[in-house]
This record gives sequence, structure tokens and C-alpha cells, in this order.
Amino acid sequence: MIEHKPLYQAMITAVSQTLENMVFMEAMEHFDSAYELPADDVVCNSILINDPIQGEIKFAMTKTLLRKLTGNIFSLDDDEIEPEQMDDILNELLNTIVGLFMTNLLADNQEYKIGLPESHNEKVPEVDASTIVWKLMTSEEDAIQIFATGASLVALKDN
Amino acid sequence: MKRILIADDSATARMFIKRCLQIIGLGDAEIIEVEHGKEALAVAKKEPVDLLLTDLNMPVMDGETLVKWVKASPKLADLPIVVISSAGNPAKEKQLLELGAHRVLNKPVSPPVMMEALADFIDE
Repeated sequence: MIEHKPLYQAMITAVSQTLENMVFMEAMEHFDSAYELPADDVVCNSILINDPIQGEIKFAMTKTLLRKLTGNIFSLDDDEIEPEQMDDILNELLNTIVGLFMTNLLADNQEYKIGLPESHNEKVPEVDASTIVWKLMTSEEDAIQIFATGASLVALKDN
Repeated sequence: MKRILIADDSATARMFIKRCLQIIGLGDAEIIEVEHGKEALAVAKKEPVDLLLTDLNMPVMDGETLVKWVKASPKLADLPIVVISSAGNPAKEKQLLELGAHRVLNKPVSPPVMMEALADFIDE
């Protein structure tokens, strides 16, 4: 059995720290637990967790938010933004969030291995009964959602 | 003027590092950006740099291999290297320090953490 800290909070802390340090935004739980990302305005990427547990984390937000972040980070006007820059930001955010999540989740000094972020697609991830979903939003009320799957990862879910 | 070499395959990550350097007072430094370790090694061998900030997971040549090559080069062996990684793995950190990395930092690096890590470099 893996020694670990509370899973749900580990992710919220990871997202908060990442957004605060990288895009100077706060993140918190979405006030509307029933909120769903609009299917026609969504981007999503994913990363595998390989060790000591196995699972997949998917990261989704609106394209509108990703464009806004890209413009802010690279100091670009909307018409100057390239899709590659949007991809790069989404991947760097997910990579950093999942690294911090694993550090927050596992007992001190426990090693872990994660993969590389996979390119995004424009679909809201499918959710089944075993998927853990975090519904978050930025201080400007832009929604961010995170989805965790994989038996050994989901088994660490808080009771 | 100090010359700082940043190796990271993510343009976003390089942007964050540059922003951090500006905030901690290294905005005047000449920043050279490359996307992987092999390119970093070529740049450092061609023209002297004062500091190398490198990601760990990069295509072509990763950060660990870059540290090994730099420390094995008589011309570059004294170059301070800070590895910035999203894989906060204590065993890997120990290994990188033993290979000669000056510091290993976890992403996301905040300006205070960067400032503390580069204190010696800034004071020079």
C-alpha cells in the first residue's frame, strides 16, 4: 500500500501553486459543482503517471481561457497568437501541475515517474463512475477541470 | 554583461525563467535560449556563458546528459548549472548534485526561490 496524503487537496494545492507562480492567477474550487465546460470551446491534454501508481490525468479548460493565458504570457495581441504557443502553455501547465500533485500526494521523498504531456484535443473527457473530477476556476471565474483515471491512482481517493 | 543560457524545449518555460530573472534583477543579462542539451553544449563551447539554467526532460539531449558533458569538458567544468525540473525526485536531485549541478529546483520556480538559488551568482 502506498503511503500518501489526501488526494483531492493535493491536486487543488498543485493547481493553485502552479497558476499563482506561472500565470499570476488564483485557483479555487468552482462555486457551481454542476458546471460543465462548453463542448464547443474546450481544449484538453493528458499525461500518464507511471510509478509508483499508474493513472492518467487530463487537463481541460476553455479555448477562450487558453488564448487569454497565451496572450498574457507572451505579451501578444489575440491575432498574433499561434496554436503552437497555446499547445506549449497547456503542456507546460499540465506538466508542472502533475509534478507538484505527485509531490503533494506522496509521502516525503518518495520517488515517482510521470510521462510527457500528450497533445491536446478539443473534446471534454468522458467521465465514468471511477473518474475523479476536480472542478476549479480562476480568480476571474474561468473554469478549469481535471480528470483522474487509473485503478491504482483512483484507489487513493479520500474516503 | 552576464550571459545566461537557458535550455528548455518549452517556449513557455523559457519565458517564465526569463521573467523570473528580470524580477530578481538580472534583466540586463544577455539571455541565450536553446531547446535541448545538445544545442546548449554547442552554444556554451562556442562562446563563454556565465550560467546555465536547464530543464531535465528535453528531446535530443536531456538535462542530466548535458550536466555530464559540461562537467566533463575542461573548458566548461566551472560553469554553474541550475537544473529546473517538474519531476521532484529526491534520488534524481542527489544524482544531479553529485554530477556537478549547482542547484536543482522544482517547477514552478518563484522569483524568491530563483533569487536564493542564484544568490552567489548575483553577488559576483
